[in-house]
Amino acid sequence: MNNDSIIVSSLSKRFSFPVKNQSAGWVKNLFVPEIKEIKAVDNISFSVKSGERVAFIGPNGAGKSTTIKMLTGILFPTAGSISVLGLDPAKDRKKLAYKIGTVFGQRSQLLPNLPLTDSLEFFGVMYDLSDKQIKIRIAELVELFNLGSFINQPVRKLSLGQRMRAEVASSLIHKPEIIFLDEPTIGLDVVAKKSLRDLLLKINNEEGTTIFLTSHDVGDIESLCSRTIVINHGTLVKDLPTQELARSFIREKYVDVTPEKTFDSFPELPSGLRYAVKEKNKITVVVDIEKITTQEALRKLLNVFEVDDIDVYNTSLEAVIRNMYESNPPRS
Amino acid sequence: MKAIRLAHKILRTLVRDRMYYPGRLLIDTFSIVARCGVLLVLYWYVFRLNNGIINNTTFIVAAWSMFFYFAFSVFRLRDISRAIMQDVQSGNIEVLFSKPISYLSYRMWWQVGEGLYPFLVISFFGAIILASIVGIPATMSTYVFIPTLVLVFLFGAILSLALYATVGLLAFWIEDVSPLFWIVDKAVMILGGSYLPVALFPNFMYKIALYSPFGASQFITHTVYGAWAIEWPVKIGIQIFWTFVFVIVVSILFAKARKKVSVNGG
Repeated sequence: MNNDSIIVSSLSKRFSFPVKNQSAGWVKNLFVPEIKEIKAVDNISFSVKSGERVAFIGPNGAGKSTTIKMLTGILFPTAGSISVLGLDPAKDRKKLAYKIGTVFGQRSQLLPNLPLTDSLEFFGVMYDLSDKQIKIRIAELVELFNLGSFINQPVRKLSLGQRMRAEVASSLIHKPEIIFLDEPTIGLDVVAKKSLRDLLLKINNEEGTTIFLTSHDVGDIESLCSRTIVINHGTLVKDLPTQELARSFIREKYVDVTPEKTFDSFPELPSGLRYAVKEKNKITVVVDIEKITTQEALRKLLNVFEVDDIDVYNTSLEAVIRNMYESNPPRS
Repeated sequence: MKAIRLAHKILRTLVRDRMYYPGRLLIDTFSIVARCGVLLVLYWYVFRLNNGIINNTTFIVAAWSMFFYFAFSVFRLRDISRAIMQDVQSGNIEVLFSKPISYLSYRMWWQVGEGLYPFLVISFFGAIILASIVGIPATMSTYVFIPTLVLVFLFGAILSLALYATVGLLAFWIEDVSPLFWIVDKAVMILGGSYLPVALFPNFMYKIALYSPFGASQFITHTVYGAWAIEWPVKIGIQIFWTFVFVIVVSILFAKARKKVSVNGG
């Protein structure tokens, strides 16, 4: 049995818009403007299984939000096909909306002046739930998301963390099978981020909701998603389990060296090694493991410095992702 | 059924929202009293200079015509243009497109909901105050008045929403529709009788007010004129025609706009 929630095949999206031709007159610019075309998404394919937690990441302008908007039926693809829960989002937008939830971190869907409970009731009616169903679901969400302390407060008086919890709760009012989250933790402090991630994991475990999220926050990816799809310049760069992401992209290791006394000079390092930090009490050396093995690097460092302590560690996932983005320069 | 339930929910929610903030009602009331009141005083003076009748129209008729214009304007149906434009410019349209609703009808009900409470309150108390100060014109006591008033109000509201939604939807192509909105809005104000009751228009201007969609959207101001009892079928017919035209235009435009959506974000 095929349990894919999302199937994307050869998906592309091009945007075209008029640009001002400086050498042409205003009449020509008005009536026959020069048209510039941008390939926001270029022939990508992937699928997502029911209940999966997928991070869809990429630098700004990579095409991730455009993809999410095509998956939810907001944007029409230029080419390729999408099937979300067996529906074509472009043709069955309304039907699909009953089965999915969306959270756009930078936009609010709640009614700002009214208490949160009014927004939840409002969305319940929008999703055609009966009054009884709405009441039961609100009670469930209040408990699950711990909304009780501010459910009767006007939305505009909520803190950002409270509001984001409310946003996610309201997008779950109709028990969607998939929730699409576009940068849900943007602007949140560490406590609010953790609380939101825990809640998303909870709904994934308890309600089996598929999670598809875009984020620039490595914490979201590491703690929430079992799989990561990387997109850059509209094309799919990698699609692999999140745990393997760091492992397969590690090109560097870091070595912290603490001196026996202090470092008075910083001699030139052999090929494959470079300084990341140069301080009297500590140096950090970056080891290019494509040029030199860790063992060889340590041996060479011990020859150069009188060492009290040494610590070897991998580059962070954030650095891995940054390297991945940087190694995919824009196509000409 | 779902559409009716949602429309009812929108209206209830927004009326409650407006009732939470009575200050906004006071501002709306003050704005109407200031604009309509000043004009009524000026007209009262001008009519007095002309022995109480201009172009076969009495001051009572002119005052009620103007009151109907301002009461209708409290509904703020015109603001649907700005609401659509802001949805497009801010990218907020993606939130509404991700819901199981028809964007246009949702926006239209929303606009009605925004203006319903001030409209009901201001119209009710305004009508009582105006009736006690200037009296009631003869046409308002005819048997056709109430049913035709309701009809002309309904078609006027639908036409206004469709007309201004058309302007708003152009934001998908030209982003800032403010200049276009200004032109359309001024056409509606002038041809609807905001500055000068339509009964006092020169003949060619009256014809434009009669046959253009801008004037037709404000036919509620014609209901107090003496000829209304005879002319109402023609005027409601014109309103239905323009309503039909603009509902089609707005539907086609929206279908095209849906394919043109581009929202911020990479």
